[in-house]
Amino acid sequence: MAEPLAVTVTVNGAPYERSVEPRLLLSDFLRHGIGLTGTHVGCEHGVCGACTVLLDGEAVRSCLMFAVQADGHEVATVEGLAPEEGELHPLQEAFREVHGLQCGFCTPGFLMTLVPFLRDNPAPTEHEIREAISGNLCRCTGYQNIVEAVRLAAERMAAT
Amino acid sequence: MTRRYVGERVARNEDRRLLTGRAMFVDDVQLPGMLHVAFLRSDHAHALLRGVDVSAALERPGVVAVFTADDLGDYWQPGPLLVPPPPVEGIVFHEATQVPLAKDKVRHVGEPVAMVVAESRYVAEDALADIVVDYEPLDAVVDLEAALAPDAPLVHERFGTNMAAFVAQRHGDYDRARAAADMVISRRFLYDRGAAAAMENRVVAAQWDPLAEDLTVWDTTQAPIPIRNGLARMLGLMESQVRVVAPFVGGGFGPKIMMFYPEEVLVPWAAMRLGRPVKWTEDRQENFFATSQERGQVHDAEMALTRDGRILGVRDFFLHDCGAYDPYGLTIPINSQCTLLGPYDVPHYYSEFRAVFTNKTIVTPVRGAGRQHGVFVMERLLDIAARELGLDPVEIRRRNYLSPELFPHNFDILYQDFAPLYYDSGNYLPALETATEMIGYEGFREEQRRLREEGRYVGVGVVSYIEGTGIGPYEGARVTVDPSGRVRVATGLGTQGQGHYTAFAQIVAEALDVDVERVSVVTGDTREFGWGTGTFASRGAVVAGSACHAAAVAVRGKILAMAARVLGAAEEQIDLADGRVSVRGIPERFMTLGELARHANPLRGAVKPGTEPGLEATAYFGPDHGSTASGVHAMIVEVDPETAMVEILRYVVVHDCGRLINPQLVEGQVQGGVAHGIGNSFYEKLHFDESGQLLNASFMDYLLPTAMDVPRVEMAHMETPAPMNPLGLKGVGEAGAIPAGAAFAQAVEDALSGYGLEITEIPLSPSQLFELLQVARAASPQIQETAG
Amino acid sequence: MIVEGEYTFSGPRDVVWELLQDPEVLSKAMPGAARLALVGDGAYEGSIRVGVGPVTAAEWKLAVTLQDRDPPAHYVMQVDSKGPIGFTRGSASVDLAETDGGCTLMRYRADLQVGGKVAGIGQRLIDQVAKMMTHRGLDALSNELRARLAEEA
Repeated sequence: MAEPLAVTVTVNGAPYERSVEPRLLLSDFLRHGIGLTGTHVGCEHGVCGACTVLLDGEAVRSCLMFAVQADGHEVATVEGLAPEEGELHPLQEAFREVHGLQCGFCTPGFLMTLVPFLRDNPAPTEHEIREAISGNLCRCTGYQNIVEAVRLAAERMAAT
Repeated sequence: MTRRYVGERVARNEDRRLLTGRAMFVDDVQLPGMLHVAFLRSDHAHALLRGVDVSAALERPGVVAVFTADDLGDYWQPGPLLVPPPPVEGIVFHEATQVPLAKDKVRHVGEPVAMVVAESRYVAEDALADIVVDYEPLDAVVDLEAALAPDAPLVHERFGTNMAAFVAQRHGDYDRARAAADMVISRRFLYDRGAAAAMENRVVAAQWDPLAEDLTVWDTTQAPIPIRNGLARMLGLMESQVRVVAPFVGGGFGPKIMMFYPEEVLVPWAAMRLGRPVKWTEDRQENFFATSQERGQVHDAEMALTRDGRILGVRDFFLHDCGAYDPYGLTIPINSQCTLLGPYDVPHYYSEFRAVFTNKTIVTPVRGAGRQHGVFVMERLLDIAARELGLDPVEIRRRNYLSPELFPHNFDILYQDFAPLYYDSGNYLPALETATEMIGYEGFREEQRRLREEGRYVGVGVVSYIEGTGIGPYEGARVTVDPSGRVRVATGLGTQGQGHYTAFAQIVAEALDVDVERVSVVTGDTREFGWGTGTFASRGAVVAGSACHAAAVAVRGKILAMAARVLGAAEEQIDLADGRVSVRGIPERFMTLGELARHANPLRGAVKPGTEPGLEATAYFGPDHGSTASGVHAMIVEVDPETAMVEILRYVVVHDCGRLINPQLVEGQVQGGVAHGIGNSFYEKLHFDESGQLLNASFMDYLLPTAMDVPRVEMAHMETPAPMNPLGLKGVGEAGAIPAGAAFAQAVEDALSGYGLEITEIPLSPSQLFELLQVARAASPQIQETAG
Repeated sequence: MIVEGEYTFSGPRDVVWELLQDPEVLSKAMPGAARLALVGDGAYEGSIRVGVGPVTAAEWKLAVTLQDRDPPAHYVMQVDSKGPIGFTRGSASVDLAETDGGCTLMRYRADLQVGGKVAGIGQRLIDQVAKMMTHRGLDALSNELRARLAEEA
C-alpha cells in the first residue's frame, strides 16, 4: 500500500488538512473523511452525477477524482449552498416549491450541476436545461419538476 | 375557520433537510470503531462450490474477519418465505429461498460466497482478491422454455424440475366462449428483465450495545418492522431488543422490500459477534447482480371476440422467471394473472402459469410487480383484434369497459392478497374520453396523414389499465399532541421519497385543525412505532394514511373531552381551530393545544378511571380488500424508419386514484412512474448470455432514461372515491409505470402502419425495432418510405 | 464469444509447432508480462496481467492444456484464467498448414466464455481486447520465429 499523502483542501470556505491514501476518492474523503455526507454516491463510475461537487467553481464528479487531486483547491458541496442557516438558495427554494425532488438522493448532485450552469446561462431554454441535467440520473421524478424548478430559480435569480 | 389540507398542493415538510444535505441516509451512519464489509460473489451462474480458502485474506493487515457458510454454524439458514402460496386449487409450489452465503453450490452470478470484515472498505475489497474459490462449473439455466425441458440442468436438484410453481385460475368457461366466438386472436408476447435502479444502492449498518443489550440496525429497507421481527427471531433476541431504522431511503421501487437479503442477515450478526459496529454499502456493480430484479415472462395468449368487437373470453398460458430462488412467493405472476383483465368485462377467463427457476438474480416485485405484463398482453390483444375487425382501437376499448353499475365487481379468481379479485369502484369511460380529448385523438388521424406526406411517421397509442392497490393486512399510527403544541405522528412504514412525511401531516393537520408545518411525521423507526408491514403494492398512503386519520380523529375526541373539562363547558360547545380550543361564543375562554396537552399529563390530582393521560391515540387500519385504481395513458410518438429512433412527442395520463391527498405528490408519482415505464419500454434490458453472465452491469451499458428522453406528462385527475376507507383513497405509486409499454407498442405500430409489423416484445430497443423494420421490408418489398 | 482468424508465419511448420509448445516462448506471446511454466505433458500454468477498459489491470491465474495433438498440424488449446474480477474459460482449435515459400498458415478458432464482474462491465471492450491480445501474441510469436531462424542460420 502506498504511503499516505498530506492534502489541504478548502471545503465550503473552511480549510481541511488530512493525511490520506493516494487512492482515496474525493467522494469518500468528503463523506467519511470530513463528514460532509450531503454528497451522495450512486454509481462510482461517473454516470449518475449524484456525487457532483464544485472544484474551483466548476462541476466535477467526486467519485472520479482522488482526494489528493483536490490538494490546494476549493471544493463546494451542497452543505455550503444555502446562504445562511435556515435559508435556502434560490435553486433549493424552487426545488421545494415545485416538488423537484422525491427521495432526494440525487438532488445534491443536480443542485451542484445547476449552480455553474445558471451562472453561465442565466436565462436558459427548456432544451438547454434538459441538456444541462442530462448527465444526472433521477429515478423518482421523471425530471419534469426539476426542469420547472430550474426555470423558476432562473427567473427569480435574474430578478434580483 | 376549518383548515383544508387534504386535496391541497402542500410543499413537502421533508424537503429542507434533503435540499441542504442534512437528511440522514444509511450510508451516512459512521460510528467510532466501525468496520466495513465487502462480499466475495460468485463469478459463475451455476457451479459446484468445492472449497473456499480464505487464509491469505485473513493475513492481510486491516482484515478483522472473513466468514464463509461454514463459519455461520446454526445461523446459516435459508431465508423466510415472505408470501406463502395462495390457496388456489391444484397449485404446485416449490419453496427455495436464498441462503446467507453459498454452500455446496452457487446459483447465480453475484451470489455471496464469503464476507470480509476489515478496518476500511478499501482493505476489505483488497482482501477479496486473496480468497481462492474452487468452482466446478455446471451448465446454466437461462432460457425459460429450455429450463422446463426434461434434460435441463437443475437449479435445485431436490425438486427434480426447474418448475417453481404451477397455478391455474378460471372465471367462467373459456372453451365455451371460444366455441361461440366469431374470431380468435392468438399471439406470443415477451416481456424481459430490467433493473429497478434506485439511485441509492442498498446499505446495512449495525451496532450491538452490550450494556443495554440491544441491537440497532440501519437498513435501506422498505419494511423495517418485518426486518426487526425476523432479526430478533434469527438472533434469539426479543423484538424489543432490536431497533431497525430506515431513515431517508434513496428510492425503493420494490427490491428494497425483499427480505432477507444475505447482507441483512450477516451484517447484524457480525456486529454482535465482533463487538464492533459494522457497515456494508452496496456498490452499483453489486446492485446489478445482488439486488432483486423483475419482468421476465413469456405469454401465449388468445382472445375470443364477437364480430362487433366484444370480448367473450381470454386464455393465457405463461412462464414466469423467478431467478435462482423464490422467496417472494407468487405475488408477481398472480398480479400478472389478475391485472390482465383490466377495466374490461371479460365473462370467461382461463389463465395458467408456470414459475421457473433460472440461474439469474432473484426476481421480486419492481414498480408494477407483474401488472404491466398483464396490461401489455390484454392491450396488445385488443389492438390486434381491433385491426383485424377494422375497428378503431379506442372504440374497441369503449365497447368492453365494465360499466359503473357493475361495481363493486367480483371476479372468481384470487388476487395477491388472497382475497377474490374485487373492484371496489371505478368509472372508466370518462377517463378514456378525457384522455382522447386531451391528446386530440379526433383530429390526429388527419394530422398523421398530413405528416406522412411530409415523410414523417407519427402514431398514437391509447391504453387502459387498472391497478389493485392499498391491500392489507394493516398499518398503524400514533398521533400525539406535544406540550409544545406541535403534533407528532409515528407510523411503521418505511418511506422512499413518496412524500409520506407531508401526506400524513396533511391528514392529521386537517383532522386537528393545526398548521401542517407543525405536524412532524416519523416513519421507518421500529422504536417509534413497532406494528405494521411495509411500503409495497401502492398501499402506503391508503392503509397508513387511513390509520393516521383514525388516530387523529381519536385524538380530536380526547381534545374536545379534555377541553370541555378544563374550560368548563359541554363538549358540543368547544371549538377546535388554529391550534387552540375555545368555548363557542366566548373566545376569551381558550387554551392552546400545547397547554391542554400539559393539562392532560398532570403532576398532581388523579387521571380519572376510564381515561388516559395525554392527548395521544393509536389506531390501526386493515382493509378487507384493496382499492382499485385505474387510468388511461395516451401517447404520440414519431419514429424514424431509417434509424428506428423513437421520439415521444406527447404523453397524456388520466388517472383515478380516488380522493387525492396532495395533487402535487400524486403528479410526481405519476410522472416518475411514466419515466420508469418509458425506460422499461425502450432502453432498459438486462442482457444475459447463455451461460447466465450479465453483460451490461453498469450505467454505461444499462441505460436509464435521462432528462432528454422523458417528456412532460400532461395529466388529469378523476376522483372515484374508494368505499373501503374513510378518506376514499386509492394507491398511485406504481401506476405510471404499468401501462407505458402497452401504449408505446401501440403508438409505434401506429406510426409505422403500412409496414405490417407487430410489436409483441418489451423492451423494444432501437436495434430490435430496426430488425422488425428490416423483416417488414423484406416481407413487403413495396414498402417505400416517403421522402422527407 | 468467438475469436477466429488466420495468420501466416514466415517459417517452416515444424519450427512453428515447436515454438507453440515452448512455455518460454508462449510466455512472451502473452501480453502483460506473463509467466508460464510446464507442469505436465502439454499442461502449463502461470499468470498474466491484463486490464479491460475501465477495469484495472490485475493478475490473472492461467492454466493452459494442449489436447488432441497431431504434430505438426493440429492441436486444441484449453485455456482457463481466473482473476479478482472474474474468469475466462475456453478452447482454441489451431491448425497449421504448409504454404508456398516455406511459410506456415495458422487457422485458429477460439470459443471463449467470460464470467463475473468483468463480463458485466467490460462487455463492450472484451471482444476488442481479445482480438488485440491475439494479434499481439501472434506478432510476438512471429518475431520469436524470426529470431530463432536467424540463430539457426
